[in-house]
Amino acid sequence: MLATALSASIVGVDGVPVRVEVDVAFGLPGLTIVGLAGSAVLEARERVRAALRNSGFEVPSRRITINLAPADLPKEGTGHDLAMAAGVLVASDQLDASRLARTALIGELALDGSLRPVPGVMALVSAAQAAGACDAIVPVENAAEGAVVQGIRVRGARALRQVTRHLAGLEQLIVEGTPRRDAEAPPDDAPDLASVVGHAVGRRTLEIAVAGRHNLAFTGPPGVGKTLLARSAAALLPLLDEREAAEVSRIHSVAGLSQPRASVSLRRPFRAPHHTISMQALVGGGPRIRPGEASLAHRGALFLDETLQFRADALDALRGPIDSGAVTIARVNGVLALPARFMLLAAFNPCPCGWFAVDGHECTCEDGMRRRYQARLSGPMRDRLDMIVFLAPISSFRRTGPPEDSSAVFARVVIAAERQAERQGSANADIPPGLLDDRTGFSAAVRAQLDTRARQLGLSMRRLHRAARVSRTIADLAGSTLVQAEHLDEALLHRPKEMRA
Amino acid sequence: MIGVGTDGPTGAGAGSDAGIRATERDCWIALSLVPGVGPAGFARLLARYGSAAAMWRAGPAALRDLVPFGDQGAPGGELHWRADPREVARSLQQATERVGGRVVTGLDDAYPPALRTLDPRPPTLFVIGPQSVFLERAVAIVGTRRASGYGMSVATEIGDDLARAGVVVVSGLALGIDGAAHHAAVAAGTPSIAVLPSPIDRIYPPRHRQLARDLLRGGGAIVSEIAIGASIGRPDFARRNRIIAGLAEAVVVVEAPDRSGALLTAAAANAIGRELYAVPGPIDAMASRGCNRLIADHQATLVTSSASLLRQIGLARGERPPTVNALSEVEGQVLRHLLERSGSIEELVDRTRQQPASVASALAMLEARGLVNPFGGATFHPTVAAKRLAKVM
Repeated sequence: MLATALSASIVGVDGVPVRVEVDVAFGLPGLTIVGLAGSAVLEARERVRAALRNSGFEVPSRRITINLAPADLPKEGTGHDLAMAAGVLVASDQLDASRLARTALIGELALDGSLRPVPGVMALVSAAQAAGACDAIVPVENAAEGAVVQGIRVRGARALRQVTRHLAGLEQLIVEGTPRRDAEAPPDDAPDLASVVGHAVGRRTLEIAVAGRHNLAFTGPPGVGKTLLARSAAALLPLLDEREAAEVSRIHSVAGLSQPRASVSLRRPFRAPHHTISMQALVGGGPRIRPGEASLAHRGALFLDETLQFRADALDALRGPIDSGAVTIARVNGVLALPARFMLLAAFNPCPCGWFAVDGHECTCEDGMRRRYQARLSGPMRDRLDMIVFLAPISSFRRTGPPEDSSAVFARVVIAAERQAERQGSANADIPPGLLDDRTGFSAAVRAQLDTRARQLGLSMRRLHRAARVSRTIADLAGSTLVQAEHLDEALLHRPKEMRA
Repeated sequence: MIGVGTDGPTGAGAGSDAGIRATERDCWIALSLVPGVGPAGFARLLARYGSAAAMWRAGPAALRDLVPFGDQGAPGGELHWRADPREVARSLQQATERVGGRVVTGLDDAYPPALRTLDPRPPTLFVIGPQSVFLERAVAIVGTRRASGYGMSVATEIGDDLARAGVVVVSGLALGIDGAAHHAAVAAGTPSIAVLPSPIDRIYPPRHRQLARDLLRGGGAIVSEIAIGASIGRPDFARRNRIIAGLAEAVVVVEAPDRSGALLTAAAANAIGRELYAVPGPIDAMASRGCNRLIADHQATLVTSSASLLRQIGLARGERPPTVNALSEVEGQVLRHLLERSGSIEELVDRTRQQPASVASALAMLEARGLVNPFGGATFHPTVAAKRLAKVM
């Protein structure tokens, strides 16, 4: 007899519906899985067999064939276990098939028949929803995450037995409610700006960068506070809207980063990979394509501490995503795009010894050594930064008052972000060059000023556009509809300059 | 026996006797190419034999007993001596002309007058650029390759002032101070002379190729005593310093650490009787150690300002009315603070007590107008134009 159950598989960061077809026929007893199943899927054979037996069912001693359709799509992971087990039960007449048709079954089986959580449930459930399922049963730990998807009833289950009783109509699994969102608390690992002494310019540029989602680099001698300042950005990022949040959570869920029972967070991600990271871990890829740090930082910030210590190929691989907002991975069987629209935060020393160009200090680096070091930030990468800010050593602890704390800056950032969304529906960093005109508050006078400065400072078109976007954010922070000359000048001062020896 | 006269062909073309029609100049050039014969060796030989042709006639045997050149066998090897001086001179001349240069020997009228008095003087020079530059008043500006923002700013100011007063700036085209001095002179539109440690077809350092092109376009000259095709080594850098000092009437050391090449130029300046000036620096700055010591040891005159330097050299500072429009209040304030002392934006925010935003936009405006220079993006220095503007502010 034949049975069909619905499951889903992950491709990149998206779910794809998978039909699990089970055929039980006369023949030599055995269980065969076909349909480009990866090793974790093939091992499902043993898990399904044991789970069925230990849940009080009978494993038919007949020839069982399981096909995962579409059969040409490579499938990985353990999420198909539950659908296979249910399929076997229906095909061997141990379960009524009527409720199986429109219910997606997702989950890994333990040998004792209990359900274990799987990554990417949000993407899997939305794939099932798109395929026409009205119900989805997922491991109870994943239920809250799955319930974010609209248009489908998501139920959490603890064991195979519960699922079969539900499908047989003997028991009702509870539909998980749409997760209630608590007020977002700031991330507790982000340093508060109140603890940053001095650095008026560093704070100011950080605020601009976060408000407009511009790429910012801090440079300066060791111990000056580059990392502290950059890390405090985590608490300054404005909240995501619902659509963006779902997108971000889906990526994180696929990467297996969602906390059990956690639902969608409106916090923007702040990712700070270590500099020894490989290119594939940074931008994504690998034999089984997984989102890299660049995608995990989607809609958030990617902080590269000691930027120049990163592998050159890894750094340069970020050029694509910085331009297009997506990582493109080409494979024999097609091209895959992983979303990766992040703001880049960088921090690096100006030279190996760290004291180049610092007034009152002497750089002890050889000229060639320093040039090689600085050349690690390639021209094209430097060009993609919006601001490079030099943090000078604090000369004294004399202060004019207590430093502003993060919440005050956050409040200004939120207002500036709202202005941008209202005006062009995107962050200022993503304004297309063609839109840098009256529609975004660039008057003819300011555009003429742009031309003048481009000539005076010898700027490329890309540099000019980037500076213009930054000046738009400065104007937004100042509450100005029009970009003024002084906004433009401030943006231009922080433009990346060649560090000449 | 090779017979050569000082004034052209003497023999009657005796077949295999290659050198028979070689001129004194050909022999001079060929001899100056012999490895191991430096300016000093050349001068000694010339003193003994009277003419280059006579030296050539004496051949390797004559050189061998000339200490200290003779102790390593025949300088240049036998091969060199068997060559025809006319051929050697012609091929070198052609190679030099191909790169737009010319060969100038101590026999020629074109030999820079300032170098004639040197003892020993470089026997042969390779020059690109007009000969007239060598007749102008010239001052050398030298210093370390690893210059600080202060050094670069001072070198630029002095270079600019000298150039505006019509003085040819002489330097070594090296990175750091040399480059800043040449840049300033080129920007001011006055010819400048770069003395290379390498042949004139191989601009060293390569990063200054564009500067060398600009310098030539501005009517300046590039000089080297290394022949095209010769390999270069450490001693060539040291020998170059003598020519820098020799070409100038005064040498200004802007920034020099201990054991700097600029100190060799300073020593050469004192040895050959050129005025020596040194720009002082902070006593704890490695980059200024050499300069401060020159001053302390009474070897150099302390430079208190660019203007006073010009006065001491006997020049009037070439005044040019500032072309900068009126500055805003914050811009003026920022510039005044910078003229007082260079600093980072952070310090300027602190000192002016203005908002970071307005200090930043003021600095950008000043940079765009060429009044401040962000050294390494870290420390802002007022430019020469700003210092000039300061007098009318």
